[in-house]
Amino acid sequence: MLGASLDKTTEVVPLRVIGNRLGALRFQLPLVMIVSYLAMMAFLIHSARQATQTAVVASDFSPAMIALASCMAFSVALTGLFVFVRHGD
Amino acid sequence: MLLLLATASTFSVCGSANSAQSDSQIRQAEFSTIVFFVVFAVLTLLISFWAARRATSSSEYLTAGSSISSGQNGLAIAGDYMSAGAFLGLSGAIYASGLDGMFLAASYLASWPIVLFLVAEPLRRLGKYSFADVLTHKLRERPIRILAGTSTIVIVSFYLVAQMVGAGELISLLFGIGYGPAVIMVGLLMIVFSTLGGMRAATWVQIIKAILMIGGSATIATLVLIRFGFNVSDLFKTAASSHPIGNKIMEIRGFAQDSVATLSLGVGILFGTAGLPHILMRFFTVSDERAARLSVFYATCLIGLFFAMLFVIGYGSIALLRGDATYANASGALFGGNNLAPIHLARAVGGNILAGFISAVAFATILAVVSGLLIAGASSAANDLVVGLSGRHLDERMRPLISEFAAIALGELGILLGLACEGQNVAYLLALATAIAASANFPLLLLAIYWDGLTTRGAIVGGTFGLISSVVLTAMGPTVWSKVLGLGPAIFPYDSPALFTVPLTLFVCWLVSIAKAEPEEDWRLAQPAVAQYAESSSA
Repeated sequence: MLGASLDKTTEVVPLRVIGNRLGALRFQLPLVMIVSYLAMMAFLIHSARQATQTAVVASDFSPAMIALASCMAFSVALTGLFVFVRHGD
Repeated sequence: MLLLLATASTFSVCGSANSAQSDSQIRQAEFSTIVFFVVFAVLTLLISFWAARRATSSSEYLTAGSSISSGQNGLAIAGDYMSAGAFLGLSGAIYASGLDGMFLAASYLASWPIVLFLVAEPLRRLGKYSFADVLTHKLRERPIRILAGTSTIVIVSFYLVAQMVGAGELISLLFGIGYGPAVIMVGLLMIVFSTLGGMRAATWVQIIKAILMIGGSATIATLVLIRFGFNVSDLFKTAASSHPIGNKIMEIRGFAQDSVATLSLGVGILFGTAGLPHILMRFFTVSDERAARLSVFYATCLIGLFFAMLFVIGYGSIALLRGDATYANASGALFGGNNLAPIHLARAVGGNILAGFISAVAFATILAVVSGLLIAGASSAANDLVVGLSGRHLDERMRPLISEFAAIALGELGILLGLACEGQNVAYLLALATAIAASANFPLLLLAIYWDGLTTRGAIVGGTFGLISSVVLTAMGPTVWSKVLGLGPAIFPYDSPALFTVPLTLFVCWLVSIAKAEPEEDWRLAQPAVAQYAESSSA
């Protein structure tokens, strides 16, 4: 029923990608994404607390909507950037 | 994957579903809904039979032979995210309280760059059947596979129960059959489909579902905008004037009250996607790393588009359904529950045929997500738990057999737990699954890929800590401790513990790894390179 005992092969391949030019970028981009997400969150919380003091006019996109949309668009743009840069590798 | 607030409104206690006087309007299954439902059910079975003829090997059954294209995989990944919880729950959340649900949508979308940058390519390069393959390149195989298998089964089980309860509620509501028969019907269909067709069938159902979901959502959103002459201002003004809280539907309110709770929720979502087994498995179905990263890009674009359409659907439902006695009662609650907002809206703008189509797509969504969960759980059971516990590799003949048996067992477990949890609020299970993924799986993957200093002992202790701490702290949180168990004030003040468990798990892994070095014979390599996974057998 069961095959061979667990064994280690001898062939090796590089695991980490720090050898290529995208090495540092691979860590910088997640940090950029995390920072932008936290900034969006901070803005939303600040905006919500400000909104309790001032009237919100429902005629157009609110600042919170714009912040959310910007974060979502930034997510898509960042993935596209990474794929574009890596395309030549 | 799935939105906490959205799924809470979707799969919450039946009270919301039974509150309105015109449940009978919903329970009378419309002919169009039945026709579309039967068409989808037959289509999924045909796909499973077609895929079964090709599933002649482990690779074909578990990973579709790694022959899925990047576009197809992108659609399948997006399909995993465009679940019933997102479609129905997010729209219902917007209908109920405005913009808060979109915060979750933005959080889930923001998690995909993290997946792309950190785990997608290494997974494809090093993995074959489960994410444990990546871990075992540097670490001792048996304990790591047991830990990874346990974590995967726990996550899949929690997800499965929540999906089965939601499926039972939805099918019962839409087709007028009892909850029990609904759960059993969905469960049996799911077992047959997943066991026969494997990953190729699951992928193609996700692809078809994604296309139908995007098409249906786009149709509803377009019809809503046509109603308002593509004037978004008119849409917002009408919605604000219809809603009890008025202009406040334009702002984030709930998530702004407790910054720490919101941050913890965000951390869990941000890193949880990169640890969900049924998402990670998607990267084994494509041919190479280029296809893996392209598929993430396609998925991110599609998910973003989907969430944008849900935004229009949510505000459109407020503007067009509130105050209309055909769809809502005097207090504004929709007949059948607020989570049926997209279906009511489809009926309002597109008639019964569009509503029936959307209802059937919602069912197909559940079926597709559940099948993916079963495949992920079955793969981990075969490749991780069995291998880890026995200490021996599976040969080519036994791997698919054990995987199919595991899929059947998991499916039956899902049915039994779904029946047992009737009427329960199981939304916290989804939050718990995400927290476990963020706290246990993601830290191990991250350290295993990018840090040579991780030892087997550090991974085991850290991963176990992440798994147990996320479960315990979630259980001691407000939702489970106070609301579900009714044990009084919560011991842990936050629903999501990820803000604390993720960094703590990383710290524990690091601390244990540096505290004691492992002997050379324990699989540590002198150079920052790892052995390539291979199913070589030796005497």
